[in-house]
Amino acid sequence: MGITRRRFLGYAAGVVTAGLPGPSLDATRRGCVLLDLNEGGCFRESVSGYESALTSAGAQWMRADALWMVHSRCAVLMVPAALEIPPPAVRAIVSCLHAGASVILESGVGFAADREFRAHRVVLRDYLQVHIEEPVDLWPDNSSQRIPYVDYTWPRPAKVRDFSRVVPLGRQAGEVIARVDGLPVALKRSSGRGRLIFLGSPLGPALWAGDAEARRWLLDCLRTAGGEGA
Amino acid sequence: MKKAIGDNMIPKEWGFEKGLELVKQAGFDGIELWLGDTPWFQMGTPDSEVRELRRKVDNAGLVVSNVSTGLHWASPLSARDPKVRAQAVRVVEREVETAVLLGTDAILLVAGLVTPEVPYNEVYQRCLEALRPLGEKAARSGVRIGCENCNAEQRFLISPREFWQFLNDVNSPAVGIHLDVGNIHDTGFAEQWIEIHGPRITRIHLKDVMTKRGRCGDQSVYTNLFLGDNNWPAIRGAMSKVGYDGWLVAEMEARYRYAPDQQFYDTARAMDRLISGQL
Repeated sequence: MGITRRRFLGYAAGVVTAGLPGPSLDATRRGCVLLDLNEGGCFRESVSGYESALTSAGAQWMRADALWMVHSRCAVLMVPAALEIPPPAVRAIVSCLHAGASVILESGVGFAADREFRAHRVVLRDYLQVHIEEPVDLWPDNSSQRIPYVDYTWPRPAKVRDFSRVVPLGRQAGEVIARVDGLPVALKRSSGRGRLIFLGSPLGPALWAGDAEARRWLLDCLRTAGGEGA
Repeated sequence: MKKAIGDNMIPKEWGFEKGLELVKQAGFDGIELWLGDTPWFQMGTPDSEVRELRRKVDNAGLVVSNVSTGLHWASPLSARDPKVRAQAVRVVEREVETAVLLGTDAILLVAGLVTPEVPYNEVYQRCLEALRPLGEKAARSGVRIGCENCNAEQRFLISPREFWQFLNDVNSPAVGIHLDVGNIHDTGFAEQWIEIHGPRITRIHLKDVMTKRGRCGDQSVYTNLFLGDNNWPAIRGAMSKVGYDGWLVAEMEARYRYAPDQQFYDTARAMDRLISGQL
């Protein structure tokens, strides 16, 4: 059987942690799940940002591996800094949406190489019907006199630090919920029985850096999306 | 205390060996090697050539005081782009590797850059995350990482207590401060930095600063020892108070317009006066 050491350890860790007490999901409740793509996520700090924001807010959440998720128990699935989105993660996202969960999918492709960007764009287009444009550098000459904040309009107005590069959204169905420099960079739309929230500008690094506005936005998003304990 | 000066002070047309002769004749005990700043010491310089550099330093009757680099100004550990951060980490690792080859136990790095684009809180966190594993690697090699206080240029860790807290957060005995007494400008007093950091000081960079002059064109705020606003008797007193007996490394930004070798002699004499306390 072709299995890498990393993958085996991933399975083993999933089995072990599934039996541990702590921030696991209550069998009778639906909660927040953080899907860690490991090498598929390009900013570890983004994952750390979501973890610290959820923990400091006292939210009920758990970290999951795509292969070991129980979709029916997931109210909100967060996918930080996605770069490569492997098939099990795609299946987890689609299953959660079909089961009625909200999925916050954060793209981390702004700094990626062209080849990685194209692969990312294909997965978003083919499996989630999200259309993105090529990354835009918000600081092209490094001499800007103003900060290109990301202005969110839903679920609450919020102004969050940019992360230097964004992937703007193409024309498509759904409601644009954030813009930066006039570019649409986040949307929400119904998908299956659930709701997809796509972020083209990473929020995780701002959470990680302790940005209070970013944290309030996330928690409001979780409440609106139905994450119990949020 | 021992005196050293950076090899980036050597006039480029002189070459390394002639420069070493000058450093020795001027009265220095050692030389600071700047990775990436001179033709003879680049990231791509193989180990065999680094060993050859050491042989030349030995032959000149000198030792390597420490390895420094300015490469982190272009590729900081605090960059948002993971590829840039990876390059920054590689620079530190190469500094450690070459320090071992060159027989020294200290390296310098500029830990992070706060910019309009990359805010302070991100820089702080990213530097911690980078330095913790780097500290472990350095410790295994018997090398200490000295994070330089580049206050005004770096816009990071501006006060000594801030720097102290940062080192506490890194929490590695192999990560300390490479203190530059010229970089504090009018945001504080070098002698207080020395008192606060004491045993955490890996090396001390010496230069003087004109605190009331802003950078203007090619006019430097930095100047030769005793020409600026540093309180040198207080700095010397603080070194004694904390028992600092390590390397003093001259780092002159403004160069003599004529007779560049004279700056080496003048700097060495000034450092002798500082060490002897005859101020």
